[in-house]
Amino acid sequence: MSDYLQTTIDKFTFRVAKDRLYTSEGMWVLPVRGEGSQRVRIGVTDFFQQHNGDVAFANVKAAGGRLHPGDEFADMETMKVTVGLPSPVAGTIVEANKALELTPEVVNQDPYEKGWLVVIEVTDWEADRAKLLDAPAYLAVMQAQAEEELKS
Amino acid sequence: MSGTSEIADVAVLGGGPAGYVAALAAAQRGARVILVEKQRVGGTCLNVGCIPTKVLTTAADLLVRCRRAGDFGLSVPQASANLAALMAYKQTTVDQLVGGVEHLLRARRVAVVHGEAQLARPGFLSVLENETISEIPARHIILAPGSVTADLPIEGRDLPGVITSTEALNLDTVPARLVVVGGGVIGLEFACIYEALGSQVTVLEMASNLLPDATDESIAKRLQSILRRRGMAIQTGAAVQKIVSGGDALKVYAGELMFEAEKVLIATGRWPNTSAIDYGELGLRMSGRAIVVDDCMATNLPNVWAIGDAVGGWMLAHKAMVEGRVVAENVTGGRRHADYRSVPNVIFTRPEIASVGLTEAQARANGVEIKVSQFLLSANPRARIHGETDGIARLICEAGSGRILGVHLLGPHATDLIAEGALAVQLGATADDLAWTTHAHPTLPEAMLEVALGFRDAAIHMQSR
Repeated sequence: MSDYLQTTIDKFTFRVAKDRLYTSEGMWVLPVRGEGSQRVRIGVTDFFQQHNGDVAFANVKAAGGRLHPGDEFADMETMKVTVGLPSPVAGTIVEANKALELTPEVVNQDPYEKGWLVVIEVTDWEADRAKLLDAPAYLAVMQAQAEEELKS
Repeated sequence: MSGTSEIADVAVLGGGPAGYVAALAAAQRGARVILVEKQRVGGTCLNVGCIPTKVLTTAADLLVRCRRAGDFGLSVPQASANLAALMAYKQTTVDQLVGGVEHLLRARRVAVVHGEAQLARPGFLSVLENETISEIPARHIILAPGSVTADLPIEGRDLPGVITSTEALNLDTVPARLVVVGGGVIGLEFACIYEALGSQVTVLEMASNLLPDATDESIAKRLQSILRRRGMAIQTGAAVQKIVSGGDALKVYAGELMFEAEKVLIATGRWPNTSAIDYGELGLRMSGRAIVVDDCMATNLPNVWAIGDAVGGWMLAHKAMVEGRVVAENVTGGRRHADYRSVPNVIFTRPEIASVGLTEAQARANGVEIKVSQFLLSANPRARIHGETDGIARLICEAGSGRILGVHLLGPHATDLIAEGALAVQLGATADDLAWTTHAHPTLPEAMLEVALGFRDAAIHMQSR
């Protein structure tokens, strides 16, 4: 289990896992042990899931799909919105979370652990990593997004 | 006409939706028509297909809604099925509709001959009636022999308890466990019927997805999730090799897997009913089991036409009926080409599915630059009132013009809603045409309005993606 940074804005509390990297769009990227290759596990942040609401369907591209950074690797449907999820890395999907078909609510209940989306074998981890945010940096971005949201 | 002594203008082989519509439409246009049918008019559709199945899907749906009455603050205690009474209602409905077609045929002076017909040669049908063979001469012959259940080589398919859709329409008890072999349209409709009636249902599909080629891939995938979440077992990539009788239950083997059930429904599709045609002798051009026709429904033989399931393509009653109307014009001096652009496919699962035009994958394969818009039924007020928000509308449009290439729906009354999509595809309408057509509020068709607005990322009641 990872430790979390935490912030409370208005009456909402958001957590950010310390052990991984982030995109400003609310994806997290966690390097995992691969078989002689670099793999990352990807999911959405606590702020992302609270912002978008209860997930009804999470449609992840099938294993084997090749991605460039920014390509959609999944879309996620909540009651009022379908959000396309841009891949933070280049690579090939090697595994999708099977739990999402029957229990997509794991994304809401446990976004950093059981609610993961895919594992991707990355082609150039050093290049991708350089563009990602660490937890404190993402926390700051997320706080700004949340405050902006409250204003509107 | 009452007898068969004068030469008829048109002789139709087969009284299903293709044949009886061809007969009625040709008679409407002044032709003297003979229709030969070996059983009751109405064909598979009316007698053992669309109509009786929809009685059961409608009853199943009502039962499920009664069980949900509490959600609406209503009390419907002990909602349950009386199978004998349900089957009787189904039969009454079928009989009324068959009676209606018989009445129309009489009213239009179509002579109905009850017998088994064959194409003897161009200009003549031979008819086996009460062990007597006679010939019916006619200026035009229309072949509409329909289709039969596909007979796949599955060991044990003749065991007691292994049934086809025809027997599934006449069960006297609800099986505790039902294995459905085939996750296509017929298989899934029965899966949803018997699931509602109380069976534990397992669907085995050979392909990697349910409903292969029957709808947009993402819609099929979504239905699979919905059914699984409800507790239906679905195994894709499962090719059934054999069924074995084992004590109280049947054992169904698919590769390494084994499934037990009291009844096994084989729903692996249908074939053109053409095995009795001596096409080699006649020189009738075939493509596999299907009779080859041009877009006027003409075969390669003079004044011999063919329509309906026997010509292949979509085996749908409404497609067959359109072909019946096309051929009726062409045998009475008109010239009409079959136009399949707006043939919808409708699937009466729970929730329903309906599609018309190209799927996303088909449009992309055609090399057309497209834009896909989708709208969730959860944001449609009427769907929410129904308490049936598990649905989606998808619109496949040409990227620049917004011309509607395909419409795919999953949700309550999808099979009714698709009519608007079919009209849009047929008229070459654009997403803007649909978006500026005022749709009544609060209704399910507002989903069509919203998905059309989505083409310009302008859906009012949903955030754009």
